[in-house]
Amino acid sequence: MAIIHDDLGRRRFLSQAVMGFGLLFGMGTLALRFLQFLVPSPKPKRYEAVLIGSLSRVPVGEAVPMDLSGQKIVVLRTNEEVLAFSRRCTDLGCLVSWSKEREQFLCPCHQGVFDKTGKNIAGPPPRPLDRFEVVTRGDQLYVNIQSS
Amino acid sequence: MESAASPVERRTGSKNWIDYIQKDLPEHLDWWPYTLGAIPLTLFGLLVTTGLLLTFYYVPSPDQAYESVEQITHEVYLGWFVRGVHKFSVDLMILFLLFHVIRVFLTRAYRTPGELKWVSGSIVFFVTLGMGFTGYSLVYDNVSYWGMTVVTSMLGNLPVVGLPLMYLLRGGEEVSGGTLLRLYDLHTKLLPVLLGGLVLGHVIIVRLKGFAEVKGSRGFHPFYPEHTLVMGAIAVGLLVLIVDLVMIFPPTLGPPANTQEVASDVSPPWYFSAAYMWITLLPGPLSLWSLMGGAGLFVVYPFLDRVLLERGWPMPFVNVVVGVLAVLVFVALMVLDVRM
Ligand code: FES
Repeated sequence: MAIIHDDLGRRRFLSQAVMGFGLLFGMGTLALRFLQFLVPSPKPKRYEAVLIGSLSRVPVGEAVPMDLSGQKIVVLRTNEEVLAFSRRCTDLGCLVSWSKEREQFLCPCHQGVFDKTGKNIAGPPPRPLDRFEVVTRGDQLYVNIQSS
Repeated sequence: MESAASPVERRTGSKNWIDYIQKDLPEHLDWWPYTLGAIPLTLFGLLVTTGLLLTFYYVPSPDQAYESVEQITHEVYLGWFVRGVHKFSVDLMILFLLFHVIRVFLTRAYRTPGELKWVSGSIVFFVTLGMGFTGYSLVYDNVSYWGMTVVTSMLGNLPVVGLPLMYLLRGGEEVSGGTLLRLYDLHTKLLPVLLGGLVLGHVIIVRLKGFAEVKGSRGFHPFYPEHTLVMGAIAVGLLVLIVDLVMIFPPTLGPPANTQEVASDVSPPWYFSAAYMWITLLPGPLSLWSLMGGAGLFVVYPFLDRVLLERGWPMPFVNVVVGVLAVLVFVALMVLDVRM
């Protein structure tokens, strides 16, 4: 008798385990799908050359901030060249601004400082500002930006 | 640990839920540092009420959010008052939670069997801070916008879960209207329900596990009417205080969010200013890790206490030193933030 009971017990345990497992699996998948619903997937990026105007738009020693369809950039013209940086601070994403007197990019959020080549020189930022390629065609300036 | 059996229990020998509510309280609970936990509870009630009222006017969309807050503050009858009560209640709630934590920490009231009390309470504390952050974001002024940006990027720096979490909160890659809506949902739905549940759980755990024993506190007084009366008096006192504070310092509104320029002053509310200064002073990863580590240690402190005690550390003394240091650092960072 005892053996039969044991068998029954085992059978019941197994069937309950399978059902329980199935239930958990089903609910887990559902929960995962719900989470996927909430987390948007990143959009694919492509490079794009955007015309930002003629060279005269950016005077020497000045940096002009621009918003290219959501991409906030700043175009800096030094004596030698024209550079384009993302204004997004590499620390926690505030916007940097150019200080003409100090010839540095400053981030007001946590006092991050970048020099005119975009290098992080003081404060919390862990790496240089992101740079975009600037292409000159005739008198016109183009910036290669990543857009989605 | 158990307090004396209630009269009903003594008669019938069994317990029902009424006994838990009516259970007599140790007399030290009459001394004010031991009432600090009930004050945040009262304030929570006030926050739910005023918060509900505010949702009738607030519009969670980037082009109308700021305007609707302005409307609440300047046009709606008594709008400034309701908003002011909401603001001061959260300030005071966090302040009194801090006092409560300090009291429990110094008296080491989290010792066995109180670990669960501490753990549940510390989670209540963090969720309340989450409410503070999401609430500030809704105003959609400069502090809100750049605060959202900075806090979500900070979470995005966490390994593995970071990026999905950031996308989840922002509803996309960048802070946008979707972000505001998500934070609004968190602030008005998910977090309040969570907080309500946690607070209820915390209170139930405290009742079940019993209050901490205090030397020399032997007598008991009934929960009702004596203790209820004390709590009522405290609640009325709080209400008077808040009403006065709102009258003297009516709520103000900073300039609307400017997504093209960071305002020079984006200091967060006082309860975040220490953390804000911390991330300003330390390089990114270090500050993030130290904050997360500190929060983790805080939650599991009762267990840490036990381990250290077994190794022969003088924990009552250690706690006084740690407590005083923590308060000093907090205040020093706050002062630094005001100065900068
Ligand atoms: S976001 Fe720029 S320094 Fe922190």
